[in-house]
Amino acid sequence: MTTLFKKPAFIVLVVLAVVGIACWIYQLLTGLGITGMSNANSWGLYIIMFMLFVGLSAGGLIVASSASVFHIKRFKAVAMPAVILSTACICVAGMFVLIDVGGIQRIWWMLISPNFTSPLLWDMCVIILYLVINILYLVFMSSKKEGAEHKVEIISRFALPIAILVHSITAWIFGLQIAKEGWYTAILAPIFVASAMDSGLALLLCVLSGLNKSGKFKTDKDLMATLSGLLCACIAVDAFFIGCEVLTMAYPGAGGADTLAIMLSGSMAPFFWFEVIGGLVIPFCILVFAKNRKSAALVVTSSVLVILGVLCKRIWLLLTAFAVPNLEGAPGVALGTFAAQEGGAATWNMYGLYVPTIPEIFITIGAISVGAIIFWAIAQKLLISSKEPQASDSVDSQIGSEASAIA
Amino acid sequence: MTKLGMVIDKRRCIGCQACANACKMQNNVPMGMLWNRVLTDGTDIVDGAFGVYPNLNRSYTPVACQHCENPACQKVCPTGATYKDDKGRVEIDYDKCIGCRMCMAACPYNARSFNWEEPVRDPDFNYGGKDVPVRPKGVAEKCTMCQERTDKGEEPMCVKSCPTKARVFGDLDDPNSEISKKISEKNAYTLLPEQGTRPQVHYYN
Repeated sequence: MTTLFKKPAFIVLVVLAVVGIACWIYQLLTGLGITGMSNANSWGLYIIMFMLFVGLSAGGLIVASSASVFHIKRFKAVAMPAVILSTACICVAGMFVLIDVGGIQRIWWMLISPNFTSPLLWDMCVIILYLVINILYLVFMSSKKEGAEHKVEIISRFALPIAILVHSITAWIFGLQIAKEGWYTAILAPIFVASAMDSGLALLLCVLSGLNKSGKFKTDKDLMATLSGLLCACIAVDAFFIGCEVLTMAYPGAGGADTLAIMLSGSMAPFFWFEVIGGLVIPFCILVFAKNRKSAALVVTSSVLVILGVLCKRIWLLLTAFAVPNLEGAPGVALGTFAAQEGGAATWNMYGLYVPTIPEIFITIGAISVGAIIFWAIAQKLLISSKEPQASDSVDSQIGSEASAIA
Repeated sequence: MTKLGMVIDKRRCIGCQACANACKMQNNVPMGMLWNRVLTDGTDIVDGAFGVYPNLNRSYTPVACQHCENPACQKVCPTGATYKDDKGRVEIDYDKCIGCRMCMAACPYNARSFNWEEPVRDPDFNYGGKDVPVRPKGVAEKCTMCQERTDKGEEPMCVKSCPTKARVFGDLDDPNSEISKKISEKNAYTLLPEQGTRPQVHYYN
């Protein structure tokens, strides 16, 4: 751990985390009024990031557990970094939920007075379970005791369905709400699983490339190409699901078409079209060719585009639902914000408007930095200090040089 | 069983906002939010008209918690802070509210307000009824159908204060109550019936 503090990048992360925590303390003292949220748009950046990071954590655990469940031996080589990544991301997702609640001092009521019809309660249970499985996975994988291999086999059989479930339940927080036209669809859970697969795999590929470049952990070039192929397939599935949803919204020309208009040509259009073009079409067109999957630069570029695309999807999915209240009429919704307390026209808004504030953005960056610190610290202990045997030097140095070329 | 509800005669509503103000006073509702909003229909201008000249019209829809029989907010609340009480009202136990705002996402009527910061009151004291609980920052709140008043057999403040007697309050389970008769006679309807929430607040034209 002490060696980490000699690295400038690590110190930057620590500084960002400290700034974020300071802003969070400010938020605890002042209230969620320091964010851009209001009664008209009651969820914002934190919930967007929660959705994103639950998804990002998928790729790792799904790749690692598929190695055992489907006997894909080659995936075992990257199981360790994959599960560390998965653990760090689910911690970040959990942090965002806790940051978003207004009364964290009363959170223990979730344990002593649970309401089992609430998807948020299901989510709390499944995220805790998921985190426990990730940690057990890491413990068994790093164990050198007799039988540890067998324990990994067993836990992976639970890990895969729980990973699918964690995304489905996160989707159901939104997808079961009939009040929100943009969310209420049976395909939301499959969409969440698909975008978790593609964004999660994309992040895994970025991290593996980074580790390759640093020379700390080498991944076989063929394996990178295989994972990129898997990413390409996941992008196609994600695009298919989104296409199904958009067509179903558009076709009757009823309420769904109004919601769709906000996405296609309204305030959410930049996010929607970036996702479709930048997050789905371009990376798919790159990765569909086997030759491109062998280039670390193109793989990383596609992966970054996929992650940004999924981020944009979380943004339009969340904010479109709040854009127009079901009951319209002047003067609209009393916002309840600091500005609204002053009275006058600032109290009201006909529509849901949301722009994140500076402290909100700092808190978000801080939470992500904490995640990066968690990843780095565990990786330092489990990955870099242990000598991984599967590297084949000639191929790896080639990837390393390509990765340096893009950096 | 008792199932408290309300019926609102839209023809009688003159958009005076007396109910909104009376509610704010009675329930100690802080600045920047209202439990009961009087919406002007079909326009983005308060007291504006809808239609095309010369065929203009003006009407109002007072909106507060609809005290649904199938409340979406209660279903999603992770701690059971929101509950359906024995008189059929949807109520909040503020001590249990963790401020996750799941209920606000689930409510189709935007009936809920959140205490985004320390509540501010103008004038600067608790002007609400003396038995009305004071809500801290970080909890959701909404119309309680004047729980403290209706428990004592009094009418909710919005009903009492309406100068045109547009609102009738009573027990929906009693077929002989004024409200039950009004609902069947006037062919009353509920807001957003397609949401399946089965509101206990009814309207008629």
